[in-house]
Amino acid sequence: MNALRSRLSAVVADWRVQMALVLALLLAAPLLSPGTLQIASFVLVAAIFAQSINLLTGLAGQISLGHAGFFGIGAYCTGILVKTYGLDVTLGVPAAVLLAGLTGWLLSFPANRVRDVYLAMMTLGFGMVFFEVVREWNELTGGTMGLPGVPSAALRTLTILGVKVDGLRYFQLVLLVTVGVILLVRNLTQSRIGRAFYAIQVSEVAAGSIGIPAGRTKQLAYALSGALAGLAGALYAHLVGYLGPESFALPRSIEVLVIAIVGGLGSIAGQVLSAVLFTFLPERLQVFAEWQFIAYGLILTFSLLVLPRGIGGLLFEPPRFIKPRALTRAARLRADATALRPDGGGTALEAKGITMRFGGLVAVDDVSLRLEPGRITALIGPNGSGKSTFVNVVTGIYRPAAGQVRFGGRDITGLPDHQMATAGVVRTFQDPRLVLHFTVRENLLLGAHRQLRHSGLAATLALPGAIAKEAAQLALVEAVLALSDLTEVADRPIDTLPYGTRRMAEVGRALLARPRVILLDEPAAGLSETEMDRLAQLIRDMRAMGIAILLIDHHMDFLAGLVDEVVVLDSGRMIYHGDIAGMRGDAQVIAAYLGDEATHA
Amino acid sequence: MDDFFFSLLLAGISVGAVYALIALGLNLTFWTTKTLNFGQGSLMMLCAMLTVIIFSQGLAITLAVVGSLVVVAALGMFIERWTVRPALKSSGGSMGWVVSTLGFGIFLQGMAAKYFGSQAVAFPDVVFTAQDFVTVFGQYISLQYLVVLAVAVALILAFELFIRRTVWGQAVHAVSLDPELALVQGIPVRRLILGSFMLSSVLAGVAGVLIAQIGGTVDPAFGFDLVLLGFVAAVLGGMGSSLGALAGGLLVGVISKLVGGYVSTAAEHGIAFALLMLALAVRPQGLFGRPEVSKA
Repeated sequence: MNALRSRLSAVVADWRVQMALVLALLLAAPLLSPGTLQIASFVLVAAIFAQSINLLTGLAGQISLGHAGFFGIGAYCTGILVKTYGLDVTLGVPAAVLLAGLTGWLLSFPANRVRDVYLAMMTLGFGMVFFEVVREWNELTGGTMGLPGVPSAALRTLTILGVKVDGLRYFQLVLLVTVGVILLVRNLTQSRIGRAFYAIQVSEVAAGSIGIPAGRTKQLAYALSGALAGLAGALYAHLVGYLGPESFALPRSIEVLVIAIVGGLGSIAGQVLSAVLFTFLPERLQVFAEWQFIAYGLILTFSLLVLPRGIGGLLFEPPRFIKPRALTRAARLRADATALRPDGGGTALEAKGITMRFGGLVAVDDVSLRLEPGRITALIGPNGSGKSTFVNVVTGIYRPAAGQVRFGGRDITGLPDHQMATAGVVRTFQDPRLVLHFTVRENLLLGAHRQLRHSGLAATLALPGAIAKEAAQLALVEAVLALSDLTEVADRPIDTLPYGTRRMAEVGRALLARPRVILLDEPAAGLSETEMDRLAQLIRDMRAMGIAILLIDHHMDFLAGLVDEVVVLDSGRMIYHGDIAGMRGDAQVIAAYLGDEATHA
Repeated sequence: MDDFFFSLLLAGISVGAVYALIALGLNLTFWTTKTLNFGQGSLMMLCAMLTVIIFSQGLAITLAVVGSLVVVAALGMFIERWTVRPALKSSGGSMGWVVSTLGFGIFLQGMAAKYFGSQAVAFPDVVFTAQDFVTVFGQYISLQYLVVLAVAVALILAFELFIRRTVWGQAVHAVSLDPELALVQGIPVRRLILGSFMLSSVLAGVAGVLIAQIGGTVDPAFGFDLVLLGFVAAVLGGMGSSLGALAGGLLVGVISKLVGGYVSTAAEHGIAFALLMLALAVRPQGLFGRPEVSKA
């Protein structure tokens, strides 16, 4: 099965096969009857529409239950512009795409303030309200009577830039547009944007820790998805020529969800197959048409149980998130990990009087410490002494009740986590937060997200400049892989690897985020002796680069040869600050670890 | 006072109390599992529809209502066991339950359309007819609205007492704060979650019957928009707050009826949606809610 899957994936990904398929369809189209051509055009519209859900749900993990609204905005926008105002289709359709995209962007404005389920409910409401607005706004949309006579292939009234377009030409045109959309979605998946989308789906906290803002990323996903749905709707309008509100009600939102989920979220090819299936089935099978709504309900209810990865997951390998072209190019480059040295030397981070309360519990009580460039500070203390909470405050997950975090002369107290990361304060987590379906290499490249500053457009079009930048970061990834002894497993998905390897990968990812200050929360927990040595060496390398390092750990032998100073917390208070030798003899520290009796003995 | 305004106000308060009931049902599952049943509307429809059908077989109306509520309660348990629990367990995607609960709602709606027809059916008058009214200070007050209001408010109070005063209510609170801790403390979390979906469905069922009584008819598409109104009520009041649900429900009810009366009935949903957008822009934690503390 797996061999078959990889064979099929290779075939589908082969550009020669793709070209041959498209050419065959273009050339065979004149042989088809007008009726079949129209259904084939419907398939293409459905495929584009399904890609919009794939982008939103498959990549970014957000759900829309009112996607018919975006589809409808696209359809009515171009329909009205072209029919009522006499604009050319080449203006009407882009306007429709923009309007639908803008709507998606506006609708998702609370993305960084509320749970995802709120957005899902808002999309449901949006779909409902859109339907009612269309039904009531007689002057603009024709209300319940609909908008007949939109220039279209079906009515033989469509002209594009003065050229008459019939059903055959329109099919060929839409085919080319669909191919374009598929290529763009693939590029997007294999770019910094696709990786960021997937990262926020898996863990917003992890994404934030390397500088990916969850709210804005989600908003971008809604906007792009809305735009694609709008494109599908616009193409639909010029295919059928009549727009009525019923075409844009809940059933269409449900239908596209079904297509996308059965196709397999994340799988581009699966979406296309599913679009074919669900467009032809009701046409050809009377029984199916009759039970359609019930069947859709059952599919949505149980598909995640029965076939969680859909047709795409069944037939093809999961998508990868790095462009092969960038990989080939990176293979020719050499990079040295010392290039990860912070620009312009290191910067000290100073925490002053940090206090953090949860209700009545004081988790961190007036703790001050300074992290100097090129120094390793260990933060130790019994469980529950406030170490992780301190890290959470410094990295912007919690806002402290009192105290200040200063970094490079700037007060950064209470900045959101992604801005902390952008400033150069990067952390790892006590339980590794990696993107489990990503390979090790993809996870590390995700760390370099902030360094990839080329425009979204360049990424989507996979322009040479964008590829060059990805390749340059990939070369650095290669260097870090070598440093952390991960080269051998670089292309294995993280979820197939043991715990120790995951920890190393997380530290590597943090390093690729170009930290000035790095806070490592128990990086050595669960590591073997060999792995621990490797980690210690990696941490020394980071020190040599001039990075300020905070290291939480319990393993004294591990710390002894490594750290420059030690801070000990107990019940949120700092009870010791000095070198590790002094700590061993400190009465308060011994009491904290062994209980009061030990000091009296 | 203007008669028209007064009747709109009463209608608003009355349906608003029902929205509050829906919101309470949503709150309940939100407490126990942080999920909502997106197919809740279909349960409202089904409960009202079944009441009509059982009643038309010649049974007493109370029996018809109770029988329908039992069916809906059973469906609520089914939904928890077969749509929410598997989705929460599976690792892929954090919101599989949105799709699966909506899917089940769609399925119920489809079945209702298939077997009961997609035409609206008249809902029987339970206590009073739409024409019954009393006059207070020269104002006509529809008795139906009053009864609906009374039932809704009584249920909300009973629910509140249940949550505050009983062991089960306390357990619900414990689970909402920390399900793992609750489990270690010996609270039967599984059963509690199952119970929350059952009760949530019953609340939805009652809401469906009450709205159907006011509206006079039921059809398979009935209820889908009501979930949204209930959700807006819950968000306005603060997700998870019972008092907030009541306040939010009344607010949504009154504003949408007033806009419906003076502007256009077609704008009722639009205005509710606008309220939702406004609430999320200005005060996402709602009137009575507290901002959520994220735990890393």
